[in-house]
Amino acid sequence: MRLLIVEDEDLLRARLVKAITDSGYVVDSASDGKDGFYNATEFDYDVAIIDLGLPGLDGISLIKAIRAKGLTFPILILTARDNWTDKVAGLDAGADDYVVKPFQIEEIKARLNALLRRAAGFAKPTLDFAHLSLDTTAHKLTVDSVETELTAYEYKVLEYLMLHPGKVVSKSELTEHLYDQDHDRDSNVLEVFIRRLRQKLDPSASLKPIDTIRGQGYRFNVSVKHH
Amino acid sequence: MSLLNTTSHYSLQTRLVLSFGLLLILFLGLAGFVLDRVYKNSVEVAVEERLQLQIYALLGVAEPDGAGFFLPDLEEARFSQIDSGLYGFIVNSQGLEVWRSPSALNLNLADNGYSVGEIIRGKTTYGTLVTLEQGPLSWAGYGTYWENQAQNYSFVVMESTAPTTSQIRQFQSNLYIWLGVLAVILSIAQYLLLRWGMQPLKKLATDVSAIESGEKDNLQGNYPIELLPVTQNLNVLIKSERERQGRFRTTLGDLAHSLKTPLAVLSTALQELRHTQKFTELQRQDMEEQLNRMDQIISWQLKRSVKNSQTKVLTKPIAVAVVVTRILGALQKVYCEKNIKVRSEVASNAVFYGEETDLMEVCGNLLDNAFKYGATQVQVLASQKNQILMLEFNDDGPGIAESDRTFVLHRGARADTLKSGQGIGLAVAVEIINSYGGEISIAQNHWGGARIRVRI
Repeated sequence: MRLLIVEDEDLLRARLVKAITDSGYVVDSASDGKDGFYNATEFDYDVAIIDLGLPGLDGISLIKAIRAKGLTFPILILTARDNWTDKVAGLDAGADDYVVKPFQIEEIKARLNALLRRAAGFAKPTLDFAHLSLDTTAHKLTVDSVETELTAYEYKVLEYLMLHPGKVVSKSELTEHLYDQDHDRDSNVLEVFIRRLRQKLDPSASLKPIDTIRGQGYRFNVSVKHH
Repeated sequence: MSLLNTTSHYSLQTRLVLSFGLLLILFLGLAGFVLDRVYKNSVEVAVEERLQLQIYALLGVAEPDGAGFFLPDLEEARFSQIDSGLYGFIVNSQGLEVWRSPSALNLNLADNGYSVGEIIRGKTTYGTLVTLEQGPLSWAGYGTYWENQAQNYSFVVMESTAPTTSQIRQFQSNLYIWLGVLAVILSIAQYLLLRWGMQPLKKLATDVSAIESGEKDNLQGNYPIELLPVTQNLNVLIKSERERQGRFRTTLGDLAHSLKTPLAVLSTALQELRHTQKFTELQRQDMEEQLNRMDQIISWQLKRSVKNSQTKVLTKPIAVAVVVTRILGALQKVYCEKNIKVRSEVASNAVFYGEETDLMEVCGNLLDNAFKYGATQVQVLASQKNQILMLEFNDDGPGIAESDRTFVLHRGARADTLKSGQGIGLAVAVEIINSYGGEISIAQNHWGGARIRVRI
């Protein structure tokens, strides 16, 4: 999952970037509204954290500008001004949730997780498809009610595909959302992850939960019904 | 609080009406008195001149005839006509009447108190007397020395005052009718002029109340030059007061931002320490708790100061429906996973006389609690009755135990009674409601959840 943090306080931004990267996100950050807007429009993000008190372009204007561009990724507001006028203004501008400073990192992570699932149309923290169930809070996969071990990258790939069921996800999209910009993007590595995932999800090779669309990418098979 | 809360004993209009009215009565009264006097005087002078002329007429035709006089052809017909109202007499120095005009045949002057002794030779003397037959009479007497008789004679002419009295009465009644008409016309004119003259002041008062009730932003329109300094100053005052309030809020907001961001840094740093062995878990928890307390105290004091700084003058009535709808929209977004069913019954006439931020805080905090603790349903009601705004918030959560209600409502009295983890939302709402002289109460609703009622 690729995430954008726009926060002007260097120390706080650095700590947020570190904590969120540690929990498996690919994180870009900007220190003011203008850079934030540039990032938001240049790259494809899954979610963003935006501080309301930004120099230059303030947080609310930034959110409005992002929404005006037709970008729909969920936005979590960080605000030091713990008043409803600001919270409502931020949510009205197009944000989806807010966290008041100071905050617990765990709370931010939980909110991000919820926002991502909500954006994909899931109401519960577990993504259920027939015999597959991915717990996005604990990062655990169960296949036929049996817990199956996943590496961090396998989890990332599977979560991304399951959050976009039925959609053809290209390899470049996957790498963009799962790796840092400066990461060595070797598509063979992705193919290895997909192969391993197929084995873990469908040991008998009868359900084929991940389709390969030749020349285009991968698709999580919706016929493995989502309920 | 009203801008015009101190009223002097008399209004400007009353002062002007009273003083103009008094002046009018004084002026018209004096004018009536003087005109009456002048007219009476002129009538009296005219009577005297007429009598004088009649005396000359008698003198001109009088011929001595033995002990008496003979006046053969009197030009004035009234001397010859009995009881005509004009009478002539000639009296010798002994006081004996030597001639009287035919008109005075019936006149009895025995008990009249008129005496020829008053009449001086060569001079006309005037007076009045009352007779039984003819009523009051004006008389004039002229003393003359008649050489042929070597005797002083007094020529006396009398005239009934009835015609002049009625003439004066007629004049007086005319005078008072016209003065009355004049008084009515002047009063109406005075009323109209006052209304016209006071109109800018009335407009000013209306405009100021329109600003108070929020229908207008500032004093607009043309005011007379005398009022311009007042209206311009008021506009400047209103603008600067609004700006001051705005600046104050911004400053406090910035202060909150600049204090809370370092707290956030500290807090995240502390969370990173969890993975190191530099502190025991207990020490880390202590630090975290203290950080939370600092955060709560900052939030609380900032909210209090923002709220206390706001004066209720110059605020617009805030439509409750708009605020509630915005907050519900925001909360439904935030709590969308709970899939809460919201019932909102807000009367369209429900308005809040105060700062919009205050209403936002009250509704935001109370609705946030309802969404947080409610299981599936939240209800908000608002109605307006005679300037009193009634709000009610219901949820189907666990409710607030009766024993906790007083504590929860009075918790805000001291910031250090706030424990970490406890939201300060309700306390802030209570504080704001109290500052507007409102009331808040907690009860249990039919779902078993909390029912919070607010009256402002």
